[in-house]
Order: sequence, then structure tokens, then C-alpha cells
Amino acid sequence: METQASMDIQKLDSFKGVKRVTVEEYFTSGHRTCQGCESALVMKLMVKAAGPRTIVLGSTGCMYVANTTYYTTPWVVPWMHTQLGSSGSAGLGTAAGLKALMRKGKMKKEPINVIAFCGDGGGIDMGLSAISATLMHPQYNLLILCYDNESYANTDIQVSGASPWGANTTFSPPGKAHRIMHTRWKKNVAGMLAAGHPACRYVATVCASYALDMMNKVRKALSTGGPTFIHSLDPCPKGWDYDPMYSHELGELAIEAGIFPLYEVEEMKLKFYGKTKKIVEGRLKRRPVKDYLSRQGRFAHFTEEDIDYFQKKTDEMWEKWILPGVIPIQPEKDGGK
Amino acid sequence: MSTIAVEVIYRGIFQKTMAKHITRGIVLAARKEGKVGIAFGRYGDSPERNGIPAKQFAIVADNDEELQGSIAKYEPTEVDVAIAVDDALCKGVESWAWYGLQPVNKLLKENGTLIVTTTQSAEELIPHIHKKELPYNLAVIKGKASFSGLWVYKNDHTDMRVLGALPRVAPHLFGSPALESAIREEWKDELKVASAEKSFERVQIRKVKPEEGNPEIPYSFTMPGWKSMEEGLVVRAIPLGSHFPGHDGGYRPERNPYFKKFTTRTMRPVVDFSKCTKCTLCWLQCPDSCFDVTPDGYYDANMEACCGCGVCEAVCPVDKCVTMVDDTRFDNNNGEWEMWKKDKDGYATWLASKIEHRPERSHGFHHRGQYEKERIEQTD
Repeated sequence: METQASMDIQKLDSFKGVKRVTVEEYFTSGHRTCQGCESALVMKLMVKAAGPRTIVLGSTGCMYVANTTYYTTPWVVPWMHTQLGSSGSAGLGTAAGLKALMRKGKMKKEPINVIAFCGDGGGIDMGLSAISATLMHPQYNLLILCYDNESYANTDIQVSGASPWGANTTFSPPGKAHRIMHTRWKKNVAGMLAAGHPACRYVATVCASYALDMMNKVRKALSTGGPTFIHSLDPCPKGWDYDPMYSHELGELAIEAGIFPLYEVEEMKLKFYGKTKKIVEGRLKRRPVKDYLSRQGRFAHFTEEDIDYFQKKTDEMWEKWILPGVIPIQPEKDGGK
Repeated sequence: MSTIAVEVIYRGIFQKTMAKHITRGIVLAARKEGKVGIAFGRYGDSPERNGIPAKQFAIVADNDEELQGSIAKYEPTEVDVAIAVDDALCKGVESWAWYGLQPVNKLLKENGTLIVTTTQSAEELIPHIHKKELPYNLAVIKGKASFSGLWVYKNDHTDMRVLGALPRVAPHLFGSPALESAIREEWKDELKVASAEKSFERVQIRKVKPEEGNPEIPYSFTMPGWKSMEEGLVVRAIPLGSHFPGHDGGYRPERNPYFKKFTTRTMRPVVDFSKCTKCTLCWLQCPDSCFDVTPDGYYDANMEACCGCGVCEAVCPVDKCVTMVDDTRFDNNNGEWEMWKKDKDGYATWLASKIEHRPERSHGFHHRGQYEKERIEQTD
């Protein structure tokens, strides 16, 4: 049985500071995304971090449709489209294919990064089973990156499993009789995938507002080898309804308000990063969620009562999930005795 | 004349609801005069993206047969009235790859009318609008470009003022009484009727002769058909970039040659290089990779690629280093760093003159009732 140690992987050291970041672009201009599209930035930073010997696979979503209008591309590295729910399968198949071609001598033996990306619709809803299956195959090297803009943004903002409570979407427009039409809390994806896949040695959450942290986690994931997963929170100026210039700031606010924690799970060890780490260690107070919610048109229908509820649920998320170790499973009180 | 076509050229998402109100209002008013009509968006524009130019149409006809003959098309081949609800669109629009730069008056019939909402005069706009072989009219409605979001509509009556101007510029479409009756029925708001009435009186119309306008030939591409595609539908990757042009150092990425994206822009960044600390943030955080790295380590926004999102201004830690200014105050896409290198004092003067035209960002976050004040200012 083949072990992980026998696999060739690229050793990508962390960028030590923004001035050391590589100048080359592998995802370039000329894509038809929105002004201020944070997911396009994620694509750019993702391949900047991965480098030129990388193959990228993209499932259907904004980053497929908007980037590759009829017979054009902004990609410098090889890129291929795959079906909405199949980022996991496409990534696994490509990694396996490369390995087979190299074994048979049909291709020069060299470590090639494989990254499969998916949106929250493609990854957190439809493609979850394929991602889960892929994370159980330790003998293949690939990274699955989920760019989560909290809705099916490509088809004009329908609710996904990652949409936040109460948000206005095409499927949950607030009305006069029922103000809150989306009543489910956001799925805890990175935590779920980290907890349930012993073959997966690296899971992380990132936000492109913290570009260096984001790129270094991509480099770490690719250098760790085996199947890995990164969940990126991407402010979406169209669906969240704010001025495109605030994409960066909204990302920061999401972290500071504790809506989205930054962490990694490496070999089942949890480590918090950036502002999230400061909050966990008690060196920084979480900002009120109101600072974050009131900046976005998708929450314009919220009353004070709704904001209070959102705050209460966020506090609960911290107490029950994040602080105890990202997943809300704890032993029953005195159960060990 | 039995079919009348109107197109609304607008900024994707920001003006989607407004464009819908305008095209819908046209059809409803025409129906009051016993005509039939249909309002629809151009299929290829959906899903819309923030700022990327899009179109909606209203077709009005005397009877169903004639209407059907006109709607079985992707877009009309010519229009009686073109409406640009943002004056920055006067420079031309590029909605998708391969599309090239389309003049804003491209589909206008002879003696048709281009309506523009703007704070500038017709004389200031004409140098931006590409020359047309046929004469046409330019109608100006005074006002800032009205930008909203997907969920919160900026109800500043720009839609009503555009509708109100139509009986003046195209009386064969419908008359004012029909329009007012349609507005009352659909929107149930006397203030909206008043806005339309005022616009009818105030719209300024000027004839544009064939020799007037921007003489530049708009760029175009030949789109490959299925016979010219490579086997396996392979699209060649963009090559890796190289040095800053004309220099040994620096870096300029290669870019998608078939879609430049700059017509998405209403504002552009100007950079005060004398204040720049080379912190890298504008370059690193730009979603469109529009910053070229200069040989001396500055970051120069490439104006063919910049779509004017303003993230660079937002992330710049230095006060007044990157400033977003009004794009209609520029008539070219020249690089700023080369200009600064050649003449630093001249650049400082130029920069100050551009920053003078710094518009307020008008499509910020939204609360209900936020725009009430602005509406009163514009309609009074």
C-alpha cells in the first residue's frame, strides 16, 4: 500500500511579507466579473500562491461563467471547467490521471499542483458528497478551494447552504407579512470536513482581505499533500449589495465581528489565525455584528430585533462551536466519570 | 411607421431596476393609446455583473403581428430612441468578450434621439460620443447617474424623468396624458407624475451633425465560429507577462486581448506617486490585476484593464495617494506613471485638476429612506 511519504509534492514556503510575494500573475485581467469581485481576487491570489506548475479545475459558478466568456480566458495556467457538483471528483481524477501518466512514463515526473475550486452552491450544497469522498483518498495530492460568496451569485443570488440567516436573496425576499424569509444558520463547512475526514491532513478558512495569510494557507495546503480543503469567505458586492470599493473592508468586518473565524486544522490540530486568534485569546473584543450587517443592502430590512437575534446566534456559535474547537460536539456533562 | 424600438443602455445591477421601470413604463403608456408593446432585457447580459454595460428594450407596435415580427430577435437592428442612463457610457460600451467597443449611438436611426442623464452639457458630451454617418438628436436630462443595488432601489425619480422626456423627443411613441395615466396606475404616486411633467419641459435637445463627435474608430474583433475553433474546444492560455514595456525591469501581465473591461468604469484611480510608499496593497488587492509593476517598484494602474471598482483607493494606507475621480474627465487611457516620470511638476498640476472632479460615491450601502433627500433636490 502506497503511503503519503512516497508522493512528490511541491515545497512552497510561506511568503515572508507582502514584498516577497511573486510578481507574476497566473490569473490575469479581462474577466467579466463584477466591479470589486472578491472571488476574482481569490482566484488571482490562489494561483499566485500556487505558482506556474499548477492545474486548476473550476466547477460551474461565477468563477466559471464570468471568467471565460465565449472562447476567451484570463487563465495563464491550465484551467478546465467541470460540472456544478463535481469539483471533488474532477480534482481527484486529475490528480490520479497525472500520477498514472507519470508512472507509465507518458509524462515527465514532476510534482504538479492540482486545485479544484467551487462556489458555495457547488461545494457546500451540491458538491459536498464528492468533496467528502475526495478527502478520503490520501494517495492523491489536490486542494479543493471553496469560494463562498454566500449565495448562488452567478444566477442572481439564490439561497445556498452558506447564506446567512435573514439575508435578502432571490429565494428569500422580505415581505410585509414575513420579514425574515431565510431562517437557517450558515453551515459549518470547514469544521465538518476537518472533523469527519481522517485522511485529510489540512483544512483551513481564509479571507482574501488578509491576502498574505490566504496565500500562505494555500501554499501550506499544497505542501502538506494528500487531499486538502480551504474555505474562503468572499464579500460579493452584487449579492450583499454594497459599494464595490468596500469588498476588502467587508471581509475585515466579517472576521472582526466573529461571523467567520480564521483557522486551520493541520493533522487534527486546531490553530486560530489573525484577528480570530486575538479574539479567542481574549486580546480583542468581537465587534458588534451590527457594524457588519448595516453595511449591506441584503440586511436592509433588518429591525433592531433581528440584529439582536443575529448577535445572539453569533455569540452562541462562539460559545458552542468555535471556542470548544470549531465543532459543537462536547462530552455530556460528567459523562466521563 | 408601425414599430418603434427604444433601448436603455445602463450599468449592470446598479441600474437594473431603473431600466426595468423605464422599459415597462414605455409599454404601459403606449397601451393607453391603444398600441401593444413588450419590454425585455438582452438575454446575453444575464446574469448581470456590477457596472458592466447592459441593455433592456421596449418595442411598441400598432398590432400584435407587427410586434411579434420585432421581438423574435436578440436585439433590434435599429432603434428610434437610445437612452444612456449614465453619461460615462457615452464613451462606448463593451458588454462581453469579442463584442469590441460599441458606440452608444450605434443602433440609432436617422434623426433618432439619444437621451443621456448627465450633469454635463451636450457640448461637453459630444466629443466622447463616436461620430455617426447619420444625423441624430442628443437630449440631455440634468442629473447624476442614479446607482442602486440589487436589493435596495434608489427611488430618486430618474426613471420618471426619463419617461417624461419621451413624449417630447418621440411624440409618435405616446403623448404626455397617456404617460401620466400609466404612471398613476402603475406607481400610484403624484410626485412621480410631477417629476415626469417637469422633465417634459426641461429636457434639452440638440441636433448632432454627422461630422460631430469622437473620430476614433472603435476597436473590434472577429469572433471565431465553430469551424475556426481548435480541436477539443481548447482556448489558448494567456502567456506569462514580461517587463514593463520599454524598460528592463518591472512587470506587466499579459491580458485577455478580447475583453478590456474599461467601459465598466465610471471612475478611475489617479495615483500621486510622490506619496506612494510602495506598500503593494493596491496591486495585491486589485481583483482585475490591473496594476503593472514599474521598473522602479511603483504600481501603475493600466487603464485598459481597470474597471473602476475603487478597492485600490479603499486599501491604500496613505492619505490622498490613490484617488478615484470622474472618468468622463479623461479622453484617453494613457498610463500615469510614464507621465509622472517625464514631468513631475506638470503631473502634480494635472493630478490636482483631476481630483477637483472627484464625484461623491453614489452607490454606497443602502437603507430604506436614505435617498429621500436627494430626490427632493433633483426634482425641485
